[in-house]
Amino acid sequence: MEIERFERLDSTNLKAKELAARGAGAWTVVLAREQEAGYGRKGAEWFSPRGGLYFSTILPNSSIKDLQLLTILASFAVAGAIKELFDLEPLIKLPNDVLLNGRKVCGILTENVVGKGVKSSVIGVGLNTNTELFGEFDRIATSIRKETGEKVDDEKLLHLILERIKGQLESIKK
Amino acid sequence: MKLLLKIKNKDYEVDILEKGSNLSIRVGEKSFVFGRGERQAECSRKESAVSFSKEVRAPLSGIVSEIFVKEGEAVEAGEKVAALSAMKMENEIVSESSGKVKKIMVKIGDRAKEGEVLIIFE
Repeated sequence: MEIERFERLDSTNLKAKELAARGAGAWTVVLAREQEAGYGRKGAEWFSPRGGLYFSTILPNSSIKDLQLLTILASFAVAGAIKELFDLEPLIKLPNDVLLNGRKVCGILTENVVGKGVKSSVIGVGLNTNTELFGEFDRIATSIRKETGEKVDDEKLLHLILERIKGQLESIKK
Repeated sequence: MKLLLKIKNKDYEVDILEKGSNLSIRVGEKSFVFGRGERQAECSRKESAVSFSKEVRAPLSGIVSEIFVKEGEAVEAGEKVAALSAMKMENEIVSESSGKVKKIMVKIGDRAKEGEVLIIFE
């Protein structure tokens, strides 16, 4: 697994899509400490200040019929990783959000390029790990640190989520 | 017209069908389409919902969220022509062949079904 690390990006999904178009392989990971134009569906802003875990990964090409499962599987992977590492009860708001105590802690955006078959798939995860201030989003967003009062090891969580996404993808291929 | 051919002791069911100016010949699970002598395409039944050389079809169902081309524009093979949003996931649809856009069959906000024609080339 190759991790490309950036201090700041417009969006990790944009960078991962660019790398995929240039031939980067599956499980290439793009990680940024902050995103200047992080986005969700329909270009909705994803607040991405320093302190969060923002990454995208290029997925192995799946079949067109399996595409609709990718986001759901990633949501399960994130929620499962949070549950494994912390004393928290994450709630999955299908298909692409994870909540803690009713507030959004994670958003997932899958972007595919499809022709006759799937050309590329990139999945982006914006996870509020150590974010403490959400400004205008304070009433609807939270972070793991806000919920537990403890600093989160982003690197450990990143690897666990990626492992879980891999495992979930393998399970649907069987 | 259906034919049964025997080649090297193996039976092949062949179905020949005229569709407008095209001739479709199906052998077992595979279809071969011949059109006006200058084009031919091969596609399996399973792939019948994907793009054909004269058009781009929706490979999956979704809401048309973006259209990247205009009528009259030239499109290269591999170029994105539209985006479909499905299951809160964005899918850029690329053309498998080059051509000049004759007609765009959908507009932003339309619900496109799998196999529906999105773009027709001249």
